Amino acid sequence: MTTFEIPTVETENFRLRAPQISDPDAYTVFGASYRSAGVGGPFTEAQSFQRLAALIGHWGLRGFGRWMVADKDTNEPLGVVGLIYPSDWPETEIAWTVFEKAEGKGVAYECALAARKYGYDVLGLKTLISCTMEGNTWSEVLAQRMGATRDADFAHPDYGTMRVWRHLPPEACK
Amino acid sequence: MTVVFQIPELETDRLRLRAPHLDDWPVMCEFFASDRAKFVGGPMTAEQTWRGLATETGHWALRGFGRWALEEKATGKFIGNCGLWEPDGFPEMELGWDLMAGATGKGYATEAGAAARAHAYNALGRTTVISMIAPGNDGSKAVATRLGAAFEKMFSHVTFGDVEIWRHPTPEALK
Repeated sequence: MTTFEIPTVETENFRLRAPQISDPDAYTVFGASYRSAGVGGPFTEAQSFQRLAALIGHWGLRGFGRWMVADKDTNEPLGVVGLIYPSDWPETEIAWTVFEKAEGKGVAYECALAARKYGYDVLGLKTLISCTMEGNTWSEVLAQRMGATRDADFAHPDYGTMRVWRHLPPEACK
Repeated sequence: MTVVFQIPELETDRLRLRAPHLDDWPVMCEFFASDRAKFVGGPMTAEQTWRGLATETGHWALRGFGRWALEEKATGKFIGNCGLWEPDGFPEMELGWDLMAGATGKGYATEAGAAARAHAYNALGRTTVISMIAPGNDGSKAVATRLGAAFEKMFSHVTFGDVEIWRHPTPEALK
């Protein structure tokens, strides 16, 4: 028997928890919408299921991954935030996605800070990046608000040119 | 820590059915880049294969069952994948198998398939299982036939196109 564990992290306003079988609906709605364009979408329902499975499986393969951000009171999924490092990525990335109905609540900023802290304090990573695709101004503003600065672009075989944002080092986040 | 999901281990005479590992990835890349993968959604790039491996692992969390990595007990070598698959877009629970290069012709798919099917019937309480097979995949049809399955109908899958549905014997018929 192999057991996979995903830790829960609490921020002031949100809970970062493992994705659940009841979450695919929210993820499918996001995948089918224009909002997924910044991450390679839109996606069909079947693709969203596979992407959610891969999101969970990332924890199994790497020992870290992305959480489902949930409302602390209702447990409703608000977005997906965490650390990703698939085989075709230059290094570990802090990634964020916010579902439409959760816009404007500060989900991405607060949870990305928690993911950065987790990467540095729990995983012991020395540096982290975030990648954005051209046109994703919202994410670039967020990266800068976190103190990240532009690094050399990264050419992804499928997604094309990705802008790399280098986050503040651990010492600067204390 | 929150316990999220578990992958049970099964054993047959010659095989161990265990959770997929990242160590399996290089061997899977070779298979999915090869012509032999054309019946199972390939050929795929290494990156697509990585995501596929992550998907196989995460399917266990979403469905409570999934596909195992097959390890040859005698050598400890990873030789393929087999298990139960029911992502969005599948008509019902599917029993599938992929053997990596050099692992065919030894009856491994039949051996693993029988163990995975027994898991569906005994541990999960299912009463029927299908296999979805691409029309030209004679190797897989031979395995399905050895497992007692028979062609039932065609099915049009959104990604894979037209595939054959083979229906396995019921739990009663296997007693």
